[in-house]
Amino acid sequence: MKYLAIVTMFSMSLMAASPEVLQYMNDLSKTAKAENSAFNGFNAARGKEIFTSTHTGKQGKPMACTSCHTLNLANSGKNSLTGKVIEPLSPRVNPQRLTSTKEVNKWLKRNFMDVYAREGSAQEKGDVLTYIMKN
Amino acid sequence: MTKILNLTVAVLLLAGGVYLYAEDEHEEHAVRSANVAAKPMTPQEKSTVALYQKECGSCHMAYQPQFLPKRSWDKTMNTLENHFGTDASLDPSDHKIIQNYLATHASKNDRMSDMKGAVALRISETPYFVREHREVTKKMVTQPEVKSFANCNACHTQAASGSYREREIRIPNYGRWED
Repeated sequence: MKYLAIVTMFSMSLMAASPEVLQYMNDLSKTAKAENSAFNGFNAARGKEIFTSTHTGKQGKPMACTSCHTLNLANSGKNSLTGKVIEPLSPRVNPQRLTSTKEVNKWLKRNFMDVYAREGSAQEKGDVLTYIMKN
Repeated sequence: MTKILNLTVAVLLLAGGVYLYAEDEHEEHAVRSANVAAKPMTPQEKSTVALYQKECGSCHMAYQPQFLPKRSWDKTMNTLENHFGTDASLDPSDHKIIQNYLATHASKNDRMSDMKGAVALRISETPYFVREHREVTKKMVTQPEVKSFANCNACHTQAASGSYREREIRIPNYGRWED
């Protein structure tokens, strides 16, 4: 188990996120394991599904993460309500992304509410972050 | 010769100044108080303003607090989890700093006297705003380049810096505002 954790940390360090955010993901992974004993690591494909699928959002209307962020994370998006430009989510294009736990936590909470009308589980949050890191 | 030239330049400058002043007759009053913040800010005030602009400016323009009275801002800050259909909740310590900032710089005029007791959340609901924009057509506002009255900076080119002078207005696809 300890070995697995080290490997996970190492493979994550090859991806684009700050140590603080990696630590946050590590904590999410512990919570996910506690909530579901079958959990065996975050998965970018599940993250992609969470990110691209359409749900009934907070306003009772169909909504997806991509409604604002678009399908290509390397592109900038647009707030669907105000039209304000959103800088790209991809850490590869936008090095500011995934550097602050406070920011990550804030937006995950807000945007799960906006799209899913509920908070995301630890596993869902980790999956989405893993997807973003790989794009 | 140089003397005459200098004099001419001075007269022209003066005339230009008078002209600009006249053009700004209808200048937004709220903004003048916004610009009064010209006295140097302490590092703490600077960081508060930066926090306000970052947090409230990520989805829309960070509106100058002077546009609404304290009770409007309090209502907004107490309902951030459902902020015009979106979750805009904040970390408790940031929430406190921003709420205090808004309260300190809020309009001292209530601005809602004609609203039959309702508390405006949108600046565009206040009678003052409605009056100032009464001649703006719906089409000008709903066109994609503007979207809604929430995007001050779509037409007020210096809105982000707190300036709403008439001569700075450029309505997309329409141009300058002529009274």
